[in-house]
Amino acid sequence: MSQDDTPVLSVEDLRVHFHGDGPVSLAVDGIDITIHRRETVCIVGESGCGKTITALTIMGLLPQPPGKIAGGRIFFKGQSLLDLPEEALRKLRGRHIAMIFQEPMSSLNPVFTIGNQINEAILAHETLSEDEALQRTLQLLQDVGIPDPQKRRHAYPHQLSGGQRQRAMIAMALACGPDLIIADEPTTALDVTVQAQILKLLQGLQQKRQMAIQYITHDLGVVAAIADRVYVMYAGLIVEQGTTSHIFSSPRHPYTRALLDSLPGKEKRGQRLYSIPGNVPHPAYKPTGCPFHPRCQHRQPKCARFFPTLCDYGEGHRARCPILYESEGTVGGRCEWKNL
Amino acid sequence: MEKSLTTGKPLLTVRNLKKHFAVRRGFFQRADTGVRAVDGVDLDILPHQTMGLVGESGCGKSTVARLILRLLYPDAGRICFDGQEITDLNERAFKPLRKKIQMIFQDPYSSLNPRMTVAQSIAEGVRISGITAKTDQRRRIERLLDMVGMPSASADRYPHEFSGGQRQRVGIARALSVSPRLILCDEPISALDVSIQAQIINLLKDLQDELGLSYLFISHDLNVVSYICDHVCVMYRGRIMESAPATALFDNPRHPYTLKLLSATAPLKEEFRTVSDVVASEAPGGELSETAYAEGTTMVEVEAGHWVRTQR
Repeated sequence: MSQDDTPVLSVEDLRVHFHGDGPVSLAVDGIDITIHRRETVCIVGESGCGKTITALTIMGLLPQPPGKIAGGRIFFKGQSLLDLPEEALRKLRGRHIAMIFQEPMSSLNPVFTIGNQINEAILAHETLSEDEALQRTLQLLQDVGIPDPQKRRHAYPHQLSGGQRQRAMIAMALACGPDLIIADEPTTALDVTVQAQILKLLQGLQQKRQMAIQYITHDLGVVAAIADRVYVMYAGLIVEQGTTSHIFSSPRHPYTRALLDSLPGKEKRGQRLYSIPGNVPHPAYKPTGCPFHPRCQHRQPKCARFFPTLCDYGEGHRARCPILYESEGTVGGRCEWKNL
Repeated sequence: MEKSLTTGKPLLTVRNLKKHFAVRRGFFQRADTGVRAVDGVDLDILPHQTMGLVGESGCGKSTVARLILRLLYPDAGRICFDGQEITDLNERAFKPLRKKIQMIFQDPYSSLNPRMTVAQSIAEGVRISGITAKTDQRRRIERLLDMVGMPSASADRYPHEFSGGQRQRVGIARALSVSPRLILCDEPISALDVSIQAQIINLLKDLQDELGLSYLFISHDLNVVSYICDHVCVMYRGRIMESAPATALFDNPRHPYTLKLLSATAPLKEEFRTVSDVVASEAPGGELSETAYAEGTTMVEVEAGHWVRTQR
């Protein structure tokens, strides 16, 4: 099928601004993301880098105002999402694109049983008989590893553990067999052992159902475990993108390197950890030029005056830093400074 | 460099510490089943050492810290600080010792009073430590802020004006204001951004070297624990499962629960890039409960300083 070549999701030069009392916050400042079928793509970044805003915008859930899509396009299987009327978007959302949130307790309705809520998700998009919907619900609960679905579907969210709740959320997201799942920090609130179970579950489901997963996290350990490709975000920009081994074995952006260097571990015992000086900039008060330059150990005077473009290192590995590009070279490609 | 783990008298000794909470169930709210939050814990924290306490949420690790600080009272067991038993002390007798044991909390947003300036928050401790003259107090506050890497100008600002990492620094300065010898760190970096975590870890290590502090470092992040701790205790359902020098615990874990925790921590190296097969049982360590955890187990020393809970 030629469908296979069309990316499931492609985001082009997306810009999201927030208007408040002060200056405009450039939360997402021109990002490009492509996700293909069966692919797990991680968006990594610290709080305030714009990763959740990107996800909400893709889902059409950006609160407007104060948010405003200031530019760019989003395509889902070739269909432009930003041009769709709300009604059509609602049909797509939940059915073809589903989202899993960080805190399952606050995204599940406390007064309905989980079986009830999954059932509702199915019937919202498909015309099935009560019995067919029930069978689907039981199958979904079984797929996500909730023991004894016949009994557990009558459980209310508060009767489930954190991990079970997240499993119920995943079952709901899978209800109509989506092509794309956007998972926003789904394991951050969970214990490490439960986190490993949920990650394994997502991987298994992905293989079985051929879904694409966009996984948003700040945890590089999780990224290393599940990602096929990685986008590193900083201050509303993609600063580096590549396969997981590109990012972890040969990172080309000073920010990615600094993040990896600052991770503690037993092999670093006795050494001092590299710590990135300063703080993540507020999206309304970003430094001029490269947004990372005030915290960067490779910075040069021109970093404050010019905006770096994505430098191509081949095989889809790109990093937004001409300084390292010039000193370390690459395979063909080009890299330049953009005059402000 | 590894600090010596075997020499010196412990600063803090905890023996057979127990705390059970009554759970009220049913229509009449009868207190029947107790939750054994802490069920016979032994700890020895040496001067100038960092003791790690790891485990999943609900295993009782924070309760241990609260018991040591006497924010809770134990049902059984002994806590000795610097050779003095503190379990039975009344509040007045414990007061001078409380200065020696301080705590820093996970959430720097909720552990500082939003209506007090940084200087006011720290000044309380400075006053208690016996500095009375206002100018001396101010000097001490600025010195404390300097120690945690904050400019002295930040003294007259309010917590909301700072980022999470800076607030955590203020929290540390406040803990240091009474010149403690032991600081209980309850998940001190889990609420912080990745790039800020390393700053706080480095700060804690620097302060330890400078002031000779001991830490009880409570965390579920094994990467951090393996980096910063000298000795580590793995806790599960209120009990210590394994206790060993950090290098021994991470290189040669003996208890199945420790193995399970370690395998669940995703390593960054590519050669290990699969999510390890963690047993699918939802209850943490459910399959361990019969053999490795249940009643009738005891701690056995398998190597010098390396203790593992095994069947008697």
